[in-house]
Amino acid sequence: MSSNSIKVLAGNSHPELTNKIIEKLGIDKTNVFVQNYTNRETCVAIADNIRDEDVYIIQTGIDHEDLNINDYLMELMIMVHCCKTASVRKVTCVIPNFFYARQDRKDKSRSPITAKLVANLLTTAGCDHVITMDLHASQIQGFFSIPVDNLYAEPSTLKYIKDNYDVNQKDLILVSPDAGGAKRVASLADKLDLQFALLHKERAVANEVSRMVLVGDVKGKNCILIDDMADTCGTLCKAAEILKENGAKQTIAMVTHAILSNNALERVKNSELKKLVFTNTNPISEQDKQNYKECIDVIDISGTLAEAIRRLHNGESISYLFTHVPL
Amino acid sequence: MRKCKVFVGNSHPELGQLVCENLGIEAAPCTLKKFANGETSVQIGVSVRDEDVYVIQSGSPEINDHIMEMLILISALKGGSAKKITAVIPQFPYAKQSKMKKHRGAITARMIANLIIMAGADHVVSMDLHASQMQGFFSKPVDNLYGGPTLAKWIKENITDYENNAVVVSKNPGGTKRVTALADLLKINFAMIHTDRRRKKDILSGNKDQLKSLKLRKQSILRKNRPIIQKDDENGAEENILLTNTIQTARLRKGHVVSEEDPFEDSEEEEDFNYPSENNGLNIASSGNSDNDNESDDDEYNENSEQPSLEKLITLVGNVNGKSAILLDDMIDRPGSFIGAAEHCIKNCGAKDVYVVATHGVFTGDCLEQLEESDSINKIIVTNTYPISEERLKKSKKLVVLDVSPIFAECIRRDHYGESISVLFDSLKHL
Repeated sequence: MSSNSIKVLAGNSHPELTNKIIEKLGIDKTNVFVQNYTNRETCVAIADNIRDEDVYIIQTGIDHEDLNINDYLMELMIMVHCCKTASVRKVTCVIPNFFYARQDRKDKSRSPITAKLVANLLTTAGCDHVITMDLHASQIQGFFSIPVDNLYAEPSTLKYIKDNYDVNQKDLILVSPDAGGAKRVASLADKLDLQFALLHKERAVANEVSRMVLVGDVKGKNCILIDDMADTCGTLCKAAEILKENGAKQTIAMVTHAILSNNALERVKNSELKKLVFTNTNPISEQDKQNYKECIDVIDISGTLAEAIRRLHNGESISYLFTHVPL
Repeated sequence: MRKCKVFVGNSHPELGQLVCENLGIEAAPCTLKKFANGETSVQIGVSVRDEDVYVIQSGSPEINDHIMEMLILISALKGGSAKKITAVIPQFPYAKQSKMKKHRGAITARMIANLIIMAGADHVVSMDLHASQMQGFFSKPVDNLYGGPTLAKWIKENITDYENNAVVVSKNPGGTKRVTALADLLKINFAMIHTDRRRKKDILSGNKDQLKSLKLRKQSILRKNRPIIQKDDENGAEENILLTNTIQTARLRKGHVVSEEDPFEDSEEEEDFNYPSENNGLNIASSGNSDNDNESDDDEYNENSEQPSLEKLITLVGNVNGKSAILLDDMIDRPGSFIGAAEHCIKNCGAKDVYVVATHGVFTGDCLEQLEESDSINKIIVTNTYPISEERLKKSKKLVVLDVSPIFAECIRRDHYGESISVLFDSLKHL
């Protein structure tokens, strides 16, 4: 008789997060062997019995030196397919940082909507359900024909701000580094009853120095820059500079997905940004953690993911997690 | 144009007619009628075998009937062996339901997309989709045209000295991107309005002091008549930083701005209203205050259902003092947020006049009439993507409807001849 229990399979992109989730769920790890042939083909073998189980595969869209984002996507799809052929009851992909999330629309003529392609690929591979976090655009949910649960890091972010800053002091101000993020910042500002401002980079005029416009007053305030992802951190560092020029006392930045390519942390260290706070949807190497421990802070969101998995498995509502951080 | 037929649906015959005129062709004959039991029936009056076929159908007040009509028409054309069917949908119906609104909400826009493709469409053309990500809902190509250039052209031609005299304003944080795009295009400044529904009563009263200081600041600003833009000339070599550092807060009651002198006389009432909502906040799902990017749309949807006497805080980030405020959005559906924002600009922030500008003038219910009545709104500018009745047009003194049919006609022509339509996206540059 099958027990139909939770089986968590770890992709190679973020084993640390998987371990934390497994620990929180109090279950054993399911052994999966992922091997890359010399010709770089990926091969997956699942060592434990998963027939008629509820399988969760954890893989995040990140680029490493040896394995890149496409390798991880391929690995995920092969794992899904592998589970499907191994007669599991249900396969759920847990993708904290969704692959190709920024290519979500035809912003230029003839540009592809790769996020849609990834959605189709995952569905075709046999995925039954997707859990993700802070999608770049929530419309990506609509790219899938299967249910997608888009979790929010916002409750964790709120908790961090409340734990680390005195929100009643009123010397805090939230700042959006671009116009598109104004909504995200306004939502947080409402919940904390803080003021907010926004920066906008004017790009339309060709052959003219780009200028950044600050809308709002930051003089003498501690600024918190809020964004959904930090890639090269160029914009965030530039924004911190502008804020400083406008009289801000100090600036920190908070993002959900830290992609941190091209020596981003080095850039942060040498910039006006006092600190970069991000969640662990993406892995960060021990070395970086040591080298830059002064200027980074990591919020753990494995609790939210673990709770989502537990609730999904037991058929409970996930809505609670949209507003609360699980214990 | 050989081997090309344009069919015009019943939702917006005027626009269809204009597009055909622009193309220099007659609309292809078809009979669209309803049976006595309400079922839609379609008869195509001409051979479409191996032809390139375009169906023009927009959103309309009888939205579901017209969606059904379009689906049946497309499917009839498919059955008639048309080579390629393009659905031209100037205002995409159900576009606002493009993401999960509340927990367990449906993504209706995706369902509509699936239906259109399933019916047999090979290509979709639309304008200013509520979210450009909607293009990803389709498994067939989608061309999303822009109404921005047409609106920008009107602003350039009709607002005197717009370069120094106008500010584009977003009425909610979610629309800021759209607003900055137009601001960049016109090379003018922008501002943003945020209406706050959550601040609780204690915070409101706590804000009394803040309001007082704001008032003082406002007065000092008015006294000094400080320029809105402070050009940072010292370090202008590398980067030109503009600082527009005014934040204006006021109170909204029943969708209208309350003067700052107005006492908080209804604080008792506030208490009654807010304690339950506070509890709701703890009871998760019901309050829906989790989704950090659905509120502006919810705003539109919930406007009527909300407690009318609930007081909100409205904040302008940016500066419109002495300028023409251009309130821009993609669609004018409900009037409430526009009126609130316009009143705030005029009464509290010193705006000279307010123009309400949008691509799609949907004007549900008496929306247009309410906007007409508001003293704070100077003009309402929309395009003809959505049908507006003759009667309404005649009655309205503020409404300006711009014709976008040439854009659709050009798109159809280029698409038919296999030419690039990127030019239509880039036409922004040529203004």
